[in-house]
Amino acid sequence: MLHAKVISIKRDNKDVFTLVFDSKISAEPGQFIMIWVPGGKEIPMSLSSTSNPLAITFRTFGETTRTLATLKPGDRIFFRGPYGNSYPKPTGKVAYVGGGTGLASLNSMILKYDGDVFAGARTKDDLFLIRDEYKVATDDGSLGFKGTVVDLFVPHLSEYNYVFVCGPEPMVKSLIDRIDKKAKAKIFFSLERLMKCGVGICDSCSINGIRVCKDGTIFELQEVLKMTEFGVSRRTESGKIEFFANAKR
Amino acid sequence: MASISTKVGNFSIENPVILASGILDETSGSILRSLRSGAGAVVTKSIGISERAGYPTPVISEVKTGLLNAVGLPNPGIDNFVEEYKDFPEKKRTVVSIFGGSVEEFVTLSRRVEAAGFDKVELNLSCPHVQGVGSEVGQDVDLVEEIINEIKRRTNLQIWSKLTPNVTDIVSLAKASEKADALVLINTIRAIGVEIYSRKFALSNVVGGYSGPGIKPVALRAVYDVYKETGKDIVGVGGITTWEDAIEFFLLGARAIQVGTAFLYDDYRIYSDIKDGINKYLDSEGFSKLEDIVGVMVNNAARKGD
Repeated sequence: MLHAKVISIKRDNKDVFTLVFDSKISAEPGQFIMIWVPGGKEIPMSLSSTSNPLAITFRTFGETTRTLATLKPGDRIFFRGPYGNSYPKPTGKVAYVGGGTGLASLNSMILKYDGDVFAGARTKDDLFLIRDEYKVATDDGSLGFKGTVVDLFVPHLSEYNYVFVCGPEPMVKSLIDRIDKKAKAKIFFSLERLMKCGVGICDSCSINGIRVCKDGTIFELQEVLKMTEFGVSRRTESGKIEFFANAKR
Repeated sequence: MASISTKVGNFSIENPVILASGILDETSGSILRSLRSGAGAVVTKSIGISERAGYPTPVISEVKTGLLNAVGLPNPGIDNFVEEYKDFPEKKRTVVSIFGGSVEEFVTLSRRVEAAGFDKVELNLSCPHVQGVGSEVGQDVDLVEEIINEIKRRTNLQIWSKLTPNVTDIVSLAKASEKADALVLINTIRAIGVEIYSRKFALSNVVGGYSGPGIKPVALRAVYDVYKETGKDIVGVGGITTWEDAIEFFLLGARAIQVGTAFLYDDYRIYSDIKDGINKYLDSEGFSKLEDIVGVMVNNAARKGD
């Protein structure tokens, strides 16, 4: 277990925080850490910056993230990693497509490689890490395009050479279902699943025998297309199969 | 090239490298991946009567000489397990690990497993960190004997009895497993991890099981003692991460071996790495088949009768 000092913690919106910390670990864009609240749980979290200093950006949705949000500069965080593969280096015209907290993982790439950013959220109050030049979609139309980030992005796919996508599984699934599978762009997805170990041995995050934590988290389109369980079913903490709402079985 | 096929009980296996219970075997997709990556057989994560979420994270903690875990027997329960494996194509190469708190639970699970088309069970008599099951059951010599005898009486399953090393005398447990087709030695060793800067325990359950390279000498001792005293078919497990480790177990009497924590160091390459190494060793040492080295360092009653 590693530990590091918190440099700063900033509230990005009503429930999203960015915590910057002082660590010597070397990480690549797209990698994640397993962050631990001593005496509490350990959860996977994407690095939102992999250049010095490192950062994580998270939504408070449970006890662990709520505790992390109360940390102050000088406090310690505990973690192991970094784990997982990283986004490949792009060439040509680049697009980033983020939904939910997906923009946190993509941010580590956006900091390194210029590109057009498509960001989606339910309302303008749910957006975070947004800059003026980003193309924004909100479900209620409170900012930018009214609709999903998938609706906003799909018509533009042909303009790009590299596309990086991160978001909740149903969003990623709907994007995959709607794009031209023969598009010239190389499309990469950072996937999210329940993870317990983070190092490829517990099998909690596996999709058709492919481990999100160790074989991914980043996969190219063709790899995701082979995962027949993707967007259809996932595992609960017991290992039981659970179907996504609205999934075609 | 030498033959590395082996036989455990009446189960003939193309090669002796088996996936241990608890690692990458919660989903049927990963079990197939292991078999396609070269495992001779696989053992599933332990299945109980009802669904269990397991313990909260952290459930693993790496140490210099291996791994601590207290995952807490997460499993979907026998009903969901049977449903998931309805059309599974590799039932004969898959050993279903089961755990229970009583003879009746073990028998019920065994009958369900048999009805689902499998023909082998591994009895988890040794999970070191869940109350009321695993090694709490597995430390009771009479109970172990009764569980095995009852499953034998009421099913046609091959039984592998996986024993706990957390006892003073593992040989008496092995003798209580006389009617089992094979013994699996050893499960993890009860252990604790400490994080000194937070002054907290490394695992949410405090106590977990220790696996990996550090426990190999302990496992070798258990295999040696049990093979010497009983001559039974043994599947060796505990700290095997290289082909040399595997050879050590064969020399002391194991007919096959299991790997788990080795995935941390070698991932899915572990199967071909160990198989290739065994093959080269047998060739270079002048043995024509794996069986020729099984137990050669141990003089026991079974061998004396050869």
